[in-house]
Amino acid sequence: MTNNLELDVLVIGTGAGGAPLLARLAATGLRVLALEAGVRHRPAEMPTDEVAQAGLFWMDERLSAGKDPVGFGRNNSGRGVGGSTLHYTAYTPRAQPDDFELLKEFGQGVDWPLSYADLEPYYDEVEQFLGVSGPSEYPWGPPRQRPYPHPALPLNGAALLMEQAAQQSGIRTSAAANAALSRPQEQEGYGLRPACSNRGFCQAGCSTGAKASLDVTYLALAESKGASIWEGAQVTKLLMQGGRVSGAEFVRDGKTQTLHARQVVLAAGAIETPRLLLLSGVGNSSGQVGRNFMAHVGVQVWGLVDDDLRPYKGIPGGLISEDFHRIPGLVGGYLLQSLGVMPVTYATQYARGTGKWGAALSEHLSQYNHVAGINVLGECLPYAGNFLELSSELDGRGLPKPLIHFSFGENEHRMAEHAEAVMRDLWAKIGAREVWALPRAAHTIGTARMGHDPSTNVVDAFGRSHDTPGLWICDNSTFPSSLSVNPGLTQMALSLRTADALIAELRA
Amino acid sequence: MSAQERAAVIAALNGPTVTAPTRATLLERLDARYGRQFLSETEFARLRAVALRLVPHDPAEMDLSGLIDQRLHQNLSDGWRYADTPADGPAYQGLLAALPSNFETLSGDEQDAAIHKLQADQPHPFEDLLAELTEGFMAHPLTQYRFGYAGFMDAPGWPRVGPNELEAREIAYGESGNDQ
Ligand SMILES: Cc1cc2nc3c(=O)[nH]c(=O)nc-3n(C[C@H](O)[C@H](O)[C@H](O)COP(=O)(O)OP(=O)(O)OC[C@H]3O[C@@H](n4cnc5c(N)ncnc54)[C@H](O)[C@@H]3O)c2cc1C
Ligand code: SF4
Repeated sequence: MTNNLELDVLVIGTGAGGAPLLARLAATGLRVLALEAGVRHRPAEMPTDEVAQAGLFWMDERLSAGKDPVGFGRNNSGRGVGGSTLHYTAYTPRAQPDDFELLKEFGQGVDWPLSYADLEPYYDEVEQFLGVSGPSEYPWGPPRQRPYPHPALPLNGAALLMEQAAQQSGIRTSAAANAALSRPQEQEGYGLRPACSNRGFCQAGCSTGAKASLDVTYLALAESKGASIWEGAQVTKLLMQGGRVSGAEFVRDGKTQTLHARQVVLAAGAIETPRLLLLSGVGNSSGQVGRNFMAHVGVQVWGLVDDDLRPYKGIPGGLISEDFHRIPGLVGGYLLQSLGVMPVTYATQYARGTGKWGAALSEHLSQYNHVAGINVLGECLPYAGNFLELSSELDGRGLPKPLIHFSFGENEHRMAEHAEAVMRDLWAKIGAREVWALPRAAHTIGTARMGHDPSTNVVDAFGRSHDTPGLWICDNSTFPSSLSVNPGLTQMALSLRTADALIAELRA
Repeated sequence: MSAQERAAVIAALNGPTVTAPTRATLLERLDARYGRQFLSETEFARLRAVALRLVPHDPAEMDLSGLIDQRLHQNLSDGWRYADTPADGPAYQGLLAALPSNFETLSGDEQDAAIHKLQADQPHPFEDLLAELTEGFMAHPLTQYRFGYAGFMDAPGWPRVGPNELEAREIAYGESGNDQ
């Protein structure tokens, strides 16, 4: 079935990459439509329960290979109108200027084809629009033009303990920037979003609208400006006409349909985007699609304390330190953040991470109310052996499942060791018991890299495909390096930047 | 005692601090039971025996093995799999088949020794099974009650989030809560 809509831009995916752009294009008066594989998850319909909320995640099976296979599903990727921001923790640190220039600084990795200065105005715009809560003085990175729009959220148990331990160790900390409201905010296109009620279930979806997931922010704005969002529409192929990408084939309500547009933006995330490109045989004259897959060094350290902490309370991401942004002898660095945690997430991580079972397992889990955690997000370099390919195994639609190879390199191993030692030392300072570390990789990054040279990159500095006209990519797949911060804010800034370039091209 | 615990759970779930979607979810889970559909009768009996050792629980209270069988029957995935491991159904069947044929009649210590060997021999499938049982266990309202977890009673929000800053409903709920 062919839908004969006159579209300027078709967007595939409504996460951190797809949503801000959709709003920007719609506000300019362009005729835009987004196809989203997942459905709408309305805040008031969300139970405070992790298992029931599994539908927020991309549950189609992915295959994980390599020495450090990456867990997906509830770990690493979202599905729904709003994408992974429905379940993100909403930590919103900016990258620092040197994050974009690893090659220049260390002779390893690659530099971004853009600088901090290019993103700065977009960072500012996104922070103001989402209503980020944060400290009045942030100790790291360049000064910001405007302060965060709302004061920082209250620190929960783990955050206060980390603050206390860090003080004793001479590590500076700060309340983190979070895209959750410490005061109510009127949101254009949506209405009043209330202040965060500290229910701590951000990773199972915010049931109040306090968290700036994209459904209650940029997507609401986009729809108020005339954009259409078709939910439950999973794209299976990009369509070509006269050498350009001209639309997409998708399955909705069991029916295969097509849509055409002057320009197509692929924003399906760092796994489904390269998968679609490979499935369609598009955009890959460089042979780089699926290559340079990265995932942050994400080791977590947990311990038990005598205090009754109730780790389900308060925004899970409260305290941050960027004092380890650079570590002598390592490429790049990491940030530290405190962790709140929901019970099932903690329990399954403990079982997987320690292999404990029987009485030892239930005894430990019975002390859930006394659990305190910290983690890091650290730089991961691109390696030839870390890539996504199509597997020979087919999914329920008859399409090859993605197969992802991932192994940490020397730098990541040393960074994880460094970080684990720092965090164990912090938890020793507060007298935590039964301290254990979960080795982990977080976030899916790379696979359709941006860069100036078409022979080694998939898209240019604005997300425009180097070799196939009509195609743009706007999601975490385009990151040339992982950055030593959470990717969401940077992704939203890039999305607005791509939107501006697209508008210019459509007007030219 | 389970009847009292159940009554306490139901009273909390029906209270004003629980939102309607949360209430519906947890009430349904409290009494969920599943008929065997995927595994063979022999496999299922063995799964139940293994599950009791891995995550001690009363199968009359929570049907953790049935939950797994049900998921396998519905062919639902948790979103990923180790590439070196077969699909979940065959992987779990392989685990069960690798146990001694008289596993159910062994003593607790002997069962544990066999499980340790299984964990060493098939680490990835074993980890998946352990995690899945743990999830079912921790998500069950009776477990949550026993561990003093009150996070689902969040309708009024949690104005104070520091250490030991408990609301009355958190202190009152659950066995570990009552101990404090
Ligand atoms: C548990 C968790 C916590 C996180 N916490 C933070 C945090 O605190 N701070 C932060 O900055 N980042 C965080 N992140 C990461 C952040 O969510 C991502 O960086 C960001 O959302 C990625 O944006 P994206 O556009 O690449 O992909 P997504 O946001 O995942 O959006 C992709 C969208 O495309 C859709 N899609 C995929 N394939 C198709 C198809 N074939 N057809 C149609 N639609 C399709 C998906 O359903 C999805 O909605 C977290 C992630 C996770 C998993
Ligand atoms: S802690 Fe705040 S932002 Fe997170 S889910 Fe709860 S109300 Fe929403």
